[in-house]
Amino acid sequence: MKRKIALVLIGMMALTTLAGCKSESKEATKEAASPTNTIFTGELEENVTIQVLENDTAISKGYFDELIKAFNKEYEKYGITAVDANMDQYLDLANDGPYGYGPDVLYQANDVIMQYAEGKHIYPLPVEQLDCYSQIPEAAWKAYQVDVEGNTYTCGVPVNVQAPMLYYRTDLLPEDWKSNWDDNKNDVPDMVENWNDMYAYSKEIHEVNPDKYGYMKSLYDVYFSSGFLFSYGGYIFGDNNTDTNDIGFAAGDANKGAWVLSQLASNMNEDCIDDTITTNAYSKLADGTYFATLSTPDTYTTFYDSLVEEYENDGLTEDEARDKAIENLVMTSLPKLPESGDLTEENPSLIDTKTMGGVNGYAISSYTKCPNACLAFVDFATNYEMIKLRNEKLGIAPAREDVAEELGGLSKQMYENLEKGNVVLMPSIKEVGQIWTPGQTFFTDLAKDSFRPESEKKFKDLDALKAGLEDMCNQISDAIHTLE
Amino acid sequence: MMKKLSVGKIIDATWTYALLLIVAFIFFFPCLWIVLASFSKSGSIYSFDGFFPKSYSVATFKKLFTDTTMYNYPRWFLNTLFVAVGSCLLGTFLTILTAYTMSRFEFRARKTMMKTTMILGMFPSFMGMTAVYILMTQFGLINQLWGLILIYAAGAPMGYLTQKGFFDTIPKAIDEAAKIDGANSAQIFWKINLPLSKPIIVYTALTSFTWPWSDFILPKLLLKEKDLYTVAVGLMSLDETEFARFAAGSVFIAVPIVILYFALVKNMVDGIAEGAVKG
Repeated sequence: MKRKIALVLIGMMALTTLAGCKSESKEATKEAASPTNTIFTGELEENVTIQVLENDTAISKGYFDELIKAFNKEYEKYGITAVDANMDQYLDLANDGPYGYGPDVLYQANDVIMQYAEGKHIYPLPVEQLDCYSQIPEAAWKAYQVDVEGNTYTCGVPVNVQAPMLYYRTDLLPEDWKSNWDDNKNDVPDMVENWNDMYAYSKEIHEVNPDKYGYMKSLYDVYFSSGFLFSYGGYIFGDNNTDTNDIGFAAGDANKGAWVLSQLASNMNEDCIDDTITTNAYSKLADGTYFATLSTPDTYTTFYDSLVEEYENDGLTEDEARDKAIENLVMTSLPKLPESGDLTEENPSLIDTKTMGGVNGYAISSYTKCPNACLAFVDFATNYEMIKLRNEKLGIAPAREDVAEELGGLSKQMYENLEKGNVVLMPSIKEVGQIWTPGQTFFTDLAKDSFRPESEKKFKDLDALKAGLEDMCNQISDAIHTLE
Repeated sequence: MMKKLSVGKIIDATWTYALLLIVAFIFFFPCLWIVLASFSKSGSIYSFDGFFPKSYSVATFKKLFTDTTMYNYPRWFLNTLFVAVGSCLLGTFLTILTAYTMSRFEFRARKTMMKTTMILGMFPSFMGMTAVYILMTQFGLINQLWGLILIYAAGAPMGYLTQKGFFDTIPKAIDEAAKIDGANSAQIFWKINLPLSKPIIVYTALTSFTWPWSDFILPKLLLKEKDLYTVAVGLMSLDETEFARFAAGSVFIAVPIVILYFALVKNMVDGIAEGAVKG
């Protein structure tokens, strides 16, 4: 009897196991066929609350509040409410998400989102269903694409393009700039049109008053400094930023870019060695210590607020200070570079300056319980009106062509730069995390070189710079491949 | 001879005072700097004239308590106070009970427990952070201030050795006399030993309060929502352009500790004095 019972139980166990296998394999096939269709069915989950993580500037400037109010009004009939996730903007979705403590929708840079995508912490999205789909350039979508077993999935929706911009103050231009610093008579000062004149003007400012500086930027910052290398043929990874065996910071004439940085550093102080200038640029540009610096478009309001405060301290009323700050603070695209890399060359042949950039956008957490409501939020937040409002409130460069076209000016220019490839997007693979430390080491050394006695200089010529860049590439390669 | 001695004494005193002044200045200067920086009018560390601000104002303190859109300092302050007071009350109670038990009662495995706790206490607390995080997620205590209180209070008795040392100094003869008079163990503890233990209770309360008040690692690990941050975590989350707010927040956070210290130090001194007479 016991043997019979045992046989029955074994039979049941075997059947259950097989049934389990069959069901799982069916599910797996279905998932692989179309993962987004099974999740994003189009049926909105009703009476749900979506936790949205936005960046701090969008919250502090009031844009996020307007966005969620407008969304909540539109989706009131479904009982869908969007709220501030009330979390640090640098969240850790990989650790907090699985336990249910992450946001449902997150706004981050493409490299961050794609690292989450590799860990399957965010959903691939049916982006072709979104209102913004046809308006966003292919290059921006590519920043969010990942290939898995021959299928391409898009894991984020681009909102704005981030790339270095030149900030300067018109009231710090020389009084005679129209006659002496505008050779082509186009009413744009030469020092913001090409780096040779910026170098000359920085030198002049610093020689007249050693406490004042022209162009100032932390060389240490790989995000900003690597653009100079890209302009002369450097790149991050080969094969469209996917081949980590081909690291290209030393490729082409990238050493000329390093030389440009080294020449610019010679007119700065030792603050360019670390990130001091990145932190103090807001107050130093406002108090007139610096004439120009590099930063991203989303920091415009911070520069503006600092300048307004400075003018108010000088005795202007708030309105006067605001008007004067709008008039004097200029954010523009980067000056052109000399083809030779020599900033002292007169009448140089000029080339476009390339920059490292990113695309910030929305993604949906894999741990959300209401993916369709989240998708509705992303669709709403990336519609024409909201992106336009985002530009008005935050000064971002929109990824949508229609908004960029209407706004014109810098937004359009940034959009064109992205399409032309002058904005080199950060690779969307996790190995990009290994470029920063070796990069900082090289750029720090390069910055220090300007302050070393002539006999102790490490980078005396272009060959030495090339060797330095190759070392940096080797270090990145070691960091990526050593423990593979 | 007398003259020589007094010259030597003067030199010795001068040298000692000079050294003390230098050491005091080394410790006092950073405090002075942060206090002055918190009153900086410009709010930026980069606009200082050398070490100190060019001009002063109380605007940053005003901003600290009124501009709460991004950084809700008053809320962080109350959260910290709640966690610190809760941990202080519960932690002190548990520590004193543990120490008293270990000091006064003989039971099986007492020595083993003492050795085990001593060895466990040698490991840094952050070693178990991953385990703590996973446990707290299972108990649903992430984003709960009570979760923090429970961890701090539960960990506090691990440091019972100091308190046990104090209870060991109270003569057991007092307990025995009380027992002869008919008092039970609870009465001996509450009515006899506890009133004699004021200094160690104050010491325990102060340390149980200050640890959660200034701790960063545990709240950072367990609190995900900005409105639940403690001051230490909140200050760390400030933007790099918010230096003056950071300085003001750092200065203000010291206020309760200072008040608590001045309010309780008398009890500590009195208690120690009483203990000295009694012994």
